[in-house]
Amino acid sequence: MSIKDKRNQVTAEHVMLVVLLALSAVFLIEPIVSDYPDDARVFPQMTASVVFVGSLLLLVRNYLPDPLYTFVGESINITTSESASEHEEELTEREKEIERETGPKRTLGRKYGYEVNDTVFMMVAATLYFFVGWAAGFLFVTPFFVFGYTTWFRVRPLIGIGLAVASTIVVYLFIEFLILPLDRGAIFDFSPFLPTAFDSTVLVAGVI
Amino acid sequence: MAVDAFVEGIGIAVSWPVIGWMVVGLLLGIILGALPGIGSPVGMAIVLPLTLPLDATSAIVLLAAIYSGAMFGGSIAAILINAPGTESAAATTLDGYPMAKNGLAKNALAIATTASALNGFLAAITLVLISPILIGVVLAFGSPEYFLLAILGISLITIVTQGSIVKGLVAGALGFMISTIGTGILSPTPRFTFGQFGLYDGISFVAALIGMFAFAEMMKLAAQDMIAESDVEMTGSIKDGVMTVFKYPKTTFKAGVIGMLIGMIPGSGATTSTFVAYAEEARSSAEDGFFGEGDPRGVIAPEGANNPTVSGSLVPTLSFGIPGSGSTAVLLGGLLMHGLQPGPTLFGDQLQITYALFISLFLGNIVIVLVGLSVIPYASRITELDTDIIIPVVVVLSFIGAYTLNQNWYDVGAVLALGVLGFYMVRYNYSVIAFVLGIVLGPIAEENFFRSLQISGGSYSIFFDPINRPLSFVLALATILIITGPFLKPRIDRALGRA
Repeated sequence: MSIKDKRNQVTAEHVMLVVLLALSAVFLIEPIVSDYPDDARVFPQMTASVVFVGSLLLLVRNYLPDPLYTFVGESINITTSESASEHEEELTEREKEIERETGPKRTLGRKYGYEVNDTVFMMVAATLYFFVGWAAGFLFVTPFFVFGYTTWFRVRPLIGIGLAVASTIVVYLFIEFLILPLDRGAIFDFSPFLPTAFDSTVLVAGVI
Repeated sequence: MAVDAFVEGIGIAVSWPVIGWMVVGLLLGIILGALPGIGSPVGMAIVLPLTLPLDATSAIVLLAAIYSGAMFGGSIAAILINAPGTESAAATTLDGYPMAKNGLAKNALAIATTASALNGFLAAITLVLISPILIGVVLAFGSPEYFLLAILGISLITIVTQGSIVKGLVAGALGFMISTIGTGILSPTPRFTFGQFGLYDGISFVAALIGMFAFAEMMKLAAQDMIAESDVEMTGSIKDGVMTVFKYPKTTFKAGVIGMLIGMIPGSGATTSTFVAYAEEARSSAEDGFFGEGDPRGVIAPEGANNPTVSGSLVPTLSFGIPGSGSTAVLLGGLLMHGLQPGPTLFGDQLQITYALFISLFLGNIVIVLVGLSVIPYASRITELDTDIIIPVVVVLSFIGAYTLNQNWYDVGAVLALGVLGFYMVRYNYSVIAFVLGIVLGPIAEENFFRSLQISGGSYSIFFDPINRPLSFVLALATILIITGPFLKPRIDRALGRA
């Protein structure tokens, strides 16, 4: 098998297991390097050992001898009866059928010939929202995120604008009532530009 | 003392604003449950940080009411659009949707409302009745037993959820491991913080719950198309539907018992109980049944099992801090966030709060009948909401909610990172509940682990001492048997020639 073939066989689960291996290795080594006292060291190292060994076994499970493979890879279930499992399988099949019938979503990207996976788009949009929100404050970023997201998925513009406004109001209410600095970012501070129209009484009256 | 606490519990449950939050929770639960892809764990996880300004009792009653309401709400989408609002309503689609297609949508919804509420009502009474026994059991537990119970809980979860046992153990241990980030419990040593002050308090378990349930679920939902519009006519009779439940008392009762017992097993939850109840009914009524084609017993069984599962899952959650499902994991998070420790305290000094919760469940089922039966004619509208409208709103609420906890950006980052991890864990069949249990119980397990070692002078034999600590020995043995049992049994059978 060529390296290219092997690379094609790598799934997201393999990536996840490698991340877990690396993370557990840090939890095993760091207490030694930083000389943690026993009562701060034993428990994390104990749990990290389980994660490390378990992840390693799962990563190489296809190459394990039979008895060990059974322990690592075999699915077991003690509560679901056979007939219940059959019904669950039937339902999953039906769900898949519905998925096949409905086809892909209508997005702005697809309209202009760009194929972007919907989950990836959601993940990237949320990550951007987090970082820009951290840098510039959630209050100012929220309407752009909500309107941008709904526009991408071609939700009616009026609904998108309504949702963006409603979400911004919710963020503002958090600032007003829970005294959270969501109008200030770690890098940019746009709070002085906050319009006076954003007065809490006006907002509450508006919501009511 | 228990009687005094019970009376006080009634007073708390019917007092303002507790009763108000119960009604709000139920309505919210019904709506969230009816939206496919949302359901109770997601709804509860989003609401959890928003309960910070509330008093502990109101917050817990609100969360439990969302859980209970979502159980009924899930059946609306299952019956009308063949897409269960919650996983626990999946079994209801098997006969609920055919009933609706046969022109009996109102009957099916009325059956779901009545069976769910009636058995929920009976299960709440049972919960109150068995609580004195629980108090005795809980008080027999010490530090070694609590540590071993956390391990046993994770082990149980790994075998009751489908998939490899090693995946479950890795998930649980990962949760424990993540919970150790931050200042040490017994000595003020910053652990795995790498000089970042934001990590000194560790990763908030509430942020982990939001990430694992709300954000991960939204990632899954992003790939799904718009929630289907109802293609059934809202015809039939609500009254006939209600009467149908009483026509099959055995089915209703059996489903309730199955629901409550399975609910008590950590990790099994309502998805398992509803399918087991459905399968049992289909088996026992095979002769005259027409299951899969709109048999009302096919709706009574899963719906009669779902709400008792809520009560059942409260037993391990409140007694030992071992949640029975994703929703009870969030509820446990709520208890801890509001300073309520599951175990002896909830069954001792704070027994009145426990009773108030049970009584709220009891009252909540009356509200479910009243609200449920009156919303039936308009039920189809709830299911028509577009997922692309729900997702950005949930993302905003998840991030803001996480920030609200400690005004710590690392908590918001944790929502994002653990959300992605949760998405892939679900996709590859790793137990999210075991992970969440690990992260929630981590500090409790670590503290009890060290207290046990302090008691024993550093000897690990305290966990395996059949003479002085028989309970801890039994728990340790049970854990070993649970993990190795499913693999050893076929081999033992084969060796004895019984295979």
